[in-house]
Amino acid sequence: MSFNLRTRLIVLGLLLAGLIQAQETVNISGRMLDAESGESLIGATVEAVGLGKGNISNEYGFYSFSLPVQNDSVQLRFSYIGYESQLLSMLPTENVKLDIRLYPAGNVIQEVVIKANTLEEKMNSTQMSVSTITTKEIKEIPALFGETDVIKILQLKPGITPGAEGTTGLFVRGGNSDQNLIVLDEAVVYNANHLFGFFSTFNSDAVKDLKVYKGGFPAQYGGRLSSVIDVRMKEGNNQKFTGSGGLGLISSRLTLEGPIQKDKSSFIVSGRRTYADLITSAINRANEGKADYNQIPDYYFYDLNTKVNFTLSEKDRLYLSGYFGRDVFDFKDETFNFLFDWGNATGTARWNHVFGPRLFMNTTFTYSDYRYRIRNVLQGFSFNLGSNVMDANTKVDFYYQYNNEHTIRFGANATYHAFDVARLKAGSDDGRINFESGQDFNGMEYGIYFADEWSVNQRLKLNYGARISGWQNNPAFYAGFEPRFAANYSMNKNWSLKASYTRMNQYVHLLASSGLSLPTDIWYPSTEGVKPEISDQVAIGTSVLIKDNILVTWEAWYKWMDNQVDFIDGAEIFGNNELEGELAIGKGRAYSPLELEIEKQNGRLTGWIGYTLAWVKRGDFVEINEGTYYPPRFDTRHNLSVVAMYKLSPRWQLTGTWVYTSGYASWLPVGRYTLNDVPGAPFQAVVPVYGNRNSFRYPAYMRADLGIVYKFKTRHLENDLTLSVYNVTDRRNPYFIYIDTEFETLSTPTGTVEQPKAIVGKQVSLFPILPSITWNFKF
Amino acid sequence: MKTILYSIPLLFLLGSCNLTKDVEIDLPVYETQPVVECYLEPGKPFRLLLTRSYPFFSDLNLDSNFIENTLYDGAEVKISFNGETEILENILSFDPSPLKIFNYTGTRVVPATPGIQYTLEITLPDGSQINGQTVMMTPVPIDSIKVEWSETNDTLARMLTYITDDRGTENYYRRLLNYASLDSFPEQDFLVTDRFSTTELFAFGTGYELLEGDTVFNTICHIEKPYYDYVESVQLAVAGNGNPFAQPSPIKSNVQGSANPLGIFTSLVYDRDTTIIQR
Repeated sequence: MSFNLRTRLIVLGLLLAGLIQAQETVNISGRMLDAESGESLIGATVEAVGLGKGNISNEYGFYSFSLPVQNDSVQLRFSYIGYESQLLSMLPTENVKLDIRLYPAGNVIQEVVIKANTLEEKMNSTQMSVSTITTKEIKEIPALFGETDVIKILQLKPGITPGAEGTTGLFVRGGNSDQNLIVLDEAVVYNANHLFGFFSTFNSDAVKDLKVYKGGFPAQYGGRLSSVIDVRMKEGNNQKFTGSGGLGLISSRLTLEGPIQKDKSSFIVSGRRTYADLITSAINRANEGKADYNQIPDYYFYDLNTKVNFTLSEKDRLYLSGYFGRDVFDFKDETFNFLFDWGNATGTARWNHVFGPRLFMNTTFTYSDYRYRIRNVLQGFSFNLGSNVMDANTKVDFYYQYNNEHTIRFGANATYHAFDVARLKAGSDDGRINFESGQDFNGMEYGIYFADEWSVNQRLKLNYGARISGWQNNPAFYAGFEPRFAANYSMNKNWSLKASYTRMNQYVHLLASSGLSLPTDIWYPSTEGVKPEISDQVAIGTSVLIKDNILVTWEAWYKWMDNQVDFIDGAEIFGNNELEGELAIGKGRAYSPLELEIEKQNGRLTGWIGYTLAWVKRGDFVEINEGTYYPPRFDTRHNLSVVAMYKLSPRWQLTGTWVYTSGYASWLPVGRYTLNDVPGAPFQAVVPVYGNRNSFRYPAYMRADLGIVYKFKTRHLENDLTLSVYNVTDRRNPYFIYIDTEFETLSTPTGTVEQPKAIVGKQVSLFPILPSITWNFKF
Repeated sequence: MKTILYSIPLLFLLGSCNLTKDVEIDLPVYETQPVVECYLEPGKPFRLLLTRSYPFFSDLNLDSNFIENTLYDGAEVKISFNGETEILENILSFDPSPLKIFNYTGTRVVPATPGIQYTLEITLPDGSQINGQTVMMTPVPIDSIKVEWSETNDTLARMLTYITDDRGTENYYRRLLNYASLDSFPEQDFLVTDRFSTTELFAFGTGYELLEGDTVFNTICHIEKPYYDYVESVQLAVAGNGNPFAQPSPIKSNVQGSANPLGIFTSLVYDRDTTIIQR
């Protein structure tokens, strides 16, 4: 390669310009921390007042920005939602490292009125289609059975449709539930559900920050089509030993945290367990031996989160964190000795290194494991069924503040995947009878990325980059080029226009047998026959900031999804070594002309209103609906949610939510016939005949919840009592609808017979009005 | 297994609150289809049931015209095998025990010879056609029956039924277990394949639920793949209407033709054992 003289001069000129610029600016960098606990603050803002320079902290609290050298002092303002802002004067003559500690705003109402930096930052950012859930929202929004749940709060955000009432299913912008990349401290959580989806695996006491990306995905993320849900665990208080916990109707929680060495290292341990099984076990014991007594199955789930972190030097920090959770269903009687357990285990080791004021590196190793096992042991015979997916991932991410105009991120990752799919082993103990099936797969997933956040001028910001991903599962190999682009144009101080385009590739697929989450759903890799899923999403939008305190965001988007995977009708899922023969491959489309969010983060009244008008389709599956397009279950036309939190006084807080969702699509039988059947099998008066998928619509869903939080102090504890009333209007919402045959008993000369009398539609609702109370404490 | 797994979450749901109400449902338009059921049982006459399906909410018509409304009469029904053709006349007949009904019956009995190919041809009064094919299966006998008494409750017993499977071919079975009489609702009715068996021996068991003196009817049907698919689809269709965790299935028929039929045309070969539980 050769360069002509003109080119060389231009390059030299640019280098010199860079050198001159480097000589004329100073860099200010450091970390922003919670003053009371030492926790890093993610997304906190630093700005040089009046100069229009500044930045926000990254996932580890690290920030960096440049100022021109000058002899006049400048004021730096450090701020974060829910914290008291801090002003600092300095003379920008040389590079400075500033670790800033911000104090929580406390309970005094006036102090909570903090400048709306978060909303302003959101409006000015190129990042669109993102929502953040704060710990305040997690704790105060009323919840089913009083069990606060971060995933259920996400469901209240526009663009996200819940799976079914009371469950944690997430369908983001027309994507399937497996198209959400859910990461806990960067480790993938493959099944974020407890109790068949009624609770999520995230213990809110251990969660520090949760962010969901619905589009405009940053280049560092890949592997799923529809969303990234990035959950960060607390690091542990490195100032003093503290504890917190709670007693609820369903479970109890306890979290302990404290310094290992003050300012240098800390730990946190957080656990949660349900206790319904303690009651059912006692009832079973009391009725033991009674002939007509049917045992109640024992069920419980538990979670354990742990994390330690060490400040190794001024430039190095080490984080080790882990999660372990299980659901256990146990049933024993004369016929069954049945144990069904499932759960996730994750582990993360991270090393942060600051190379200098501009360059920050994070190296991560993660381990993820999800498995379910079903065991039934009877005298002389046993039955075992299970599936497992395991990841070992290593990655490195760099954050480089080239100058105030360019913030560059780049990195790479490699993940080893191991799948044990539908492993069945059943037979007699003596080995004379034996059934075995199951498949093993291994795969390597790779990714490298680059992204530049470029402030072109005062009005225009661009974020451009790309991710190159790859998948190897011998003999299959796939590679994907995933461009990422986002732009923000500020019309004025309070109004910005935005646009984004992203392509995503997904190399692992969840084979789900129903529209609802089951622990037995199977993760399956891309193979020669099952190609990677691909999505392209374009979005445009605008944000308007009203009186520095209310942000109105409108977005419109269109998403194309290829190589979508679904089961054919009547697929055999268990004990099948040829699962690919049960799969259908097709396409998906989703679009919304109107996704609206109105947020208010400061003052006595906070909360948001979200509304989405959207269409979702699936089609081109040769084996399903003869290839025609049909709506998936979660294609709901209108989604409206209102979330409000009102601070009455330092002690009393009122919260409320109201949601409206137009009817889910459903697959109901359209016809029926009678079945004679063979000798020994009964005559069936009604065999349902199903037509096209999801051609019926449920009635609309509507629910209002209320909550009251009362805070008080006792000698050693800070307490709050939270009263939640779920479904306060006691509305009967449809959980599922079926068509029932009602029978009548007729007398005949030889006895009685059951004869069909009428066919009626039945709606089953799940939850009536449900008040609950939770006691939370902190010391 | 599917039934058990789907039942667990359903148990939780229904156990939490039983909040059910009648609702008006406006289903898409459905066009009636002819439904064929023909089981060629060795030693029994050629016989077939031809009925109509209905839109789900149509009137049940359980009056004196029920049979006339449901049965599809006036069709020409032929079954061909080994170069012969059996014409089934449109005659209503009943098998009293267990109770079964047929509206087309032949004069000869079905030969038991395994491997014979049978072809079904039906011409409906409007001229539309229904066709189907099946083969006579080889019976798989029950090798032995074993009754074992519980170690914890000596009044209860279980029954183990053994068969020997031909490892050389892929086989499908339907297991039916009735207590007291064949007209009773089966305690067990499931399908199994030997696709993943590594041994010749198969066992079908009960729980420890039998008392001394109980009568147990054990039926092991050796079935062909299309019938396996059909029964499975019927079971999924029934389960799917009422359990939100179950995936429904359209009926997988093995009859085709311009009449757009539903149904099954298959041989029915089984071994049945009747045991009275004794100590």
